[in-house]
Amino acid sequence: MANQSELLPRESLLWIFAAQFAALLPHFAQLPLWIVCAWAFAVYWRLEVFRGRRDLPGRTVKLLVVGLTVAGLALSYRRWFALEPMVALLAISFTLKNLELVSRRDAFLSLLLAYFVAATLFVYEQTIPYALYGTVCVVVVTAALAAQLGHFSARPRRALGLSLRLLAQAVPLMLLLFIVMPRLGPLWAVPQNNSGTTTGISDSMTPGDFTRLSKSDKPALRIAFDGPIPPPEQRYWRGLVYADFDGRRWSQGFGVDPREGGVVRWQGREQKLPEVGPRYRYRVIQEATNNPWLFAMARPISDTRGVGETADDRLLKKRPVYNRFAYDVRSWPRETLTDDRELSDFEYRRYLQLPRGGNPRTRAWAEEFHASGLGAEEISAHVLKYFNRSFTYTLKPPALGADSIDDFLFGSQQGFCEHFASSYVFTMRAAGVPARVVAGYQGGEWVEQEEYLLVREYDAHAWAEIWLPGRGWQRVDPTAAVSPERIRDGLQSAAADEFMQDSLLQLHRISVLNRLRLEWDMINYRWYQTVVSFDSDKQENLLKKLLGEVSPLRLAAFIAVPVALALTGMLLWLWLSNRGRRLPPASRLYQKFCRRMARAGIARRPGEAPRDFARRVGIEMPALAPMVERITAAFERAAYGEDPAAEKQLRRLLRQWSPRANFVFGRTADGGRIATGE
Amino acid sequence: MSFPSDIARPIADRWRELMQRWLSRRSPPSRSVTLDHSKLFILPSRAGMGFLLVVALLWLLGTNYENNLVIALTFLLVSLFAVLPVHTFANLSGLRLQLLAARPAFAGDYAEADIDVSRSGSRVREWIRVGWPAEEGAYLDLYERSSAEIRVALPVVARGKVRAPRLRIESRFPLGLFRCWSWVDLDIEFLVFPQPLSAGPLPIGATLSDSESDDLSVAPQALRGGDDFAGLKPYQPGDSLRHLAWKQYAGGRDLYNKNYESHADTRLWLDWELLGGRDVETRLSNLCHWALQAERQQIAYGLRIPGSKLAPAQGADHLQRVLTALALFPVKGGVGGQSK
Repeated sequence: MANQSELLPRESLLWIFAAQFAALLPHFAQLPLWIVCAWAFAVYWRLEVFRGRRDLPGRTVKLLVVGLTVAGLALSYRRWFALEPMVALLAISFTLKNLELVSRRDAFLSLLLAYFVAATLFVYEQTIPYALYGTVCVVVVTAALAAQLGHFSARPRRALGLSLRLLAQAVPLMLLLFIVMPRLGPLWAVPQNNSGTTTGISDSMTPGDFTRLSKSDKPALRIAFDGPIPPPEQRYWRGLVYADFDGRRWSQGFGVDPREGGVVRWQGREQKLPEVGPRYRYRVIQEATNNPWLFAMARPISDTRGVGETADDRLLKKRPVYNRFAYDVRSWPRETLTDDRELSDFEYRRYLQLPRGGNPRTRAWAEEFHASGLGAEEISAHVLKYFNRSFTYTLKPPALGADSIDDFLFGSQQGFCEHFASSYVFTMRAAGVPARVVAGYQGGEWVEQEEYLLVREYDAHAWAEIWLPGRGWQRVDPTAAVSPERIRDGLQSAAADEFMQDSLLQLHRISVLNRLRLEWDMINYRWYQTVVSFDSDKQENLLKKLLGEVSPLRLAAFIAVPVALALTGMLLWLWLSNRGRRLPPASRLYQKFCRRMARAGIARRPGEAPRDFARRVGIEMPALAPMVERITAAFERAAYGEDPAAEKQLRRLLRQWSPRANFVFGRTADGGRIATGE
Repeated sequence: MSFPSDIARPIADRWRELMQRWLSRRSPPSRSVTLDHSKLFILPSRAGMGFLLVVALLWLLGTNYENNLVIALTFLLVSLFAVLPVHTFANLSGLRLQLLAARPAFAGDYAEADIDVSRSGSRVREWIRVGWPAEEGAYLDLYERSSAEIRVALPVVARGKVRAPRLRIESRFPLGLFRCWSWVDLDIEFLVFPQPLSAGPLPIGATLSDSESDDLSVAPQALRGGDDFAGLKPYQPGDSLRHLAWKQYAGGRDLYNKNYESHADTRLWLDWELLGGRDVETRLSNLCHWALQAERQQIAYGLRIPGSKLAPAQGADHLQRVLTALALFPVKGGVGGQSK
């Protein structure tokens, strides 16, 4: 077992628990409650042991605890190879380790674990607050590590100061490594954090979904354009296409999702690009949704790894967006191209699908259009005109009955985008025009001189697309027919009275706060652009910018020069901090004398007064005594009497004299220098 | 440290020997040693290796999740690890160790050396351990002071002059992830007295041998008669003493019984010859014990061992002389002959 000096003192324990707490704190929210309680209890127990009120648990208790926790983990987590069980396991190991925190080795183990737990935090969140908190964690854990050595280091200020100083010194090298070290892709597939509830637009649409979204001002997308910027009325960010309607709920329907056999052209495959160049190039940074769909304008192509295009003209990510994700898109909006592709039978059936029964009035109304032989565009115009005549746009639509379309079209006539899109598509289909509901975001807010467009959750929108032979899918936004300002100026002005009414403080009304929020978003955006999404491409660009060209020689110089500078600085520091304060000339002369005496075989003991030393020399080497007397006297006068003449005299005496020259007896007195005890 | 296998042993010994030779070239014995780069060694400690393992795992985590913050944290820890040896090294570099005194000790006990550790510059030093390995050694800080006097202990087994092995000075400051150490030879030589072994009460009243006739003038005073004699009995073991059963013994007894019965001023000889039949080291140990006992009881005592003789006296200096004579008694040569 550990010997006495290796036992952990109180400060060490407290530091360890502080480090564990700091590392675990952000995980508390998602860890099962029993783990949090177990950890707290283990800490309590260990402190009780320290106070001598309790013993450390014995073997049987420990085995029992291990068994219980394993059972608890098995019950709490179905899937073992995921991130949460891993974090839970780490938290458990903290807990168990606390029950046998005895020696310094245990302390180190616990603190190394704390570093790891602090890092797992970033797998969940990479935002600035989390990054700052993670930094705090690292500082605390490092301080705890420092506090394990000695009672001076364990003082809170000293430990934290030491930790901060060491980490600050490490930062330059870290930056260098961050810029230079190559990023390898994932070495193997890793379990992702996929327990979080999905946010944003879901894969189905029922009345009320969008009302929920309209209450959230969380950022959803940030879009930066490279080249032309689409006008506001073109800013439709398509995310999902709903083809299947069951009378109440719109959903994607079978055969769209790649997991259900839907066709996706993954990036990298050979594909025919349109002959005309893309109209818009942009980069979308999407917040985590835990869903695979991405958002882009119509006809997108993306070269970003892991992104593919679906048959219904959307972008899809291979794996759900668990973290903020950036992708580059090129879009060819429809009006610039003609599409002479024909719909297949399957697609016809798909986009004309309607539930068997229900909504008789709407069907009858649509039948009229069909019977009158109008073209698709004319039918659409009629329906939109009808909307425009007597419908109102509201965030608080009244409840609808079983025949929801009938109720809306001929009853309440008050609704939100989803009502308009849904009833429009239903009517068009009933009139024999292939149509679909498209969900995504519309609009956005410019941040900082149009650097990027910030799209928030409340910009979620649903609209429609209809198939026109020879022209392909055309976007129709029934909401625009009712409330054009919704499209032009966004939700805020379209439903000014109702917008964000439920939130406690109507922050969006206060312009200063709104500005601050945009500023904050700006900082977030920059953070994401420069740090979080720093990949091998950006690395290459940055190195090119810094070095001109990336050649091995230049790269080596880029690394070697700062390293050499740092080494020189460290050596200089070592040398400077080792030098004592410069002594007054008299003392320096006296030290010179002492060095000579030491060479002659009699060294001045540390702390020995000059007078005592002289007396000792007189006893041990009588031959030297007269000269040593004179030198000592001169030194004392020079040092304490502030006598400049004495200093000169001392210098002269030393210049002429060497103890060896008139040392005749050999080193007989040598043995006298070791005291042989009391 | 040690190799378990017997075959490996000679190799380990050779290796150690080579190391020692190399070390003594690099840092020759001296009473005062200033630590510098030529004398200091530095390597990651076991905790440091653990730290590197965690860093490697973090790098895997960051790479697999393509998570730049985890990667940045990994690099921060790597850089921290790169900065640390400078601090650990700086914690020892420039320290001056000076031997103040090597205290004598009894065999089987700890011999202690007083060492002065001082720094010249303004840089503070922490958590420095000085000692002979296997022993815990002494910890010291030069935090609020610029020099410290420490006492380190070395277990000594055999009497005589014992040259201390190289002293290890070690530090793991600041985070315990690196271990910087040095082996310094402060030219420490301990005087080790024999281990005191009880030989019963003091041999008060024991007579001198014939051969020491020149001491007879002093002898009568040193003897004490009376009751004390009975106490001596068990310590006249067997033949050899009987062999020395001198004529004066019986005669003297009568003589002094009357005169010196209650007299405290008796003089005592701790005589090699009184302890016949035991081996050399036991005799020395017994004499040592007697000397300490006599000193404690404040009885003047003299020492007679082959090759040296110290007149009865008392006091710390005398004890020192007696013990030194015992300590430096030659291990071999003429001892066997003397006891016969």
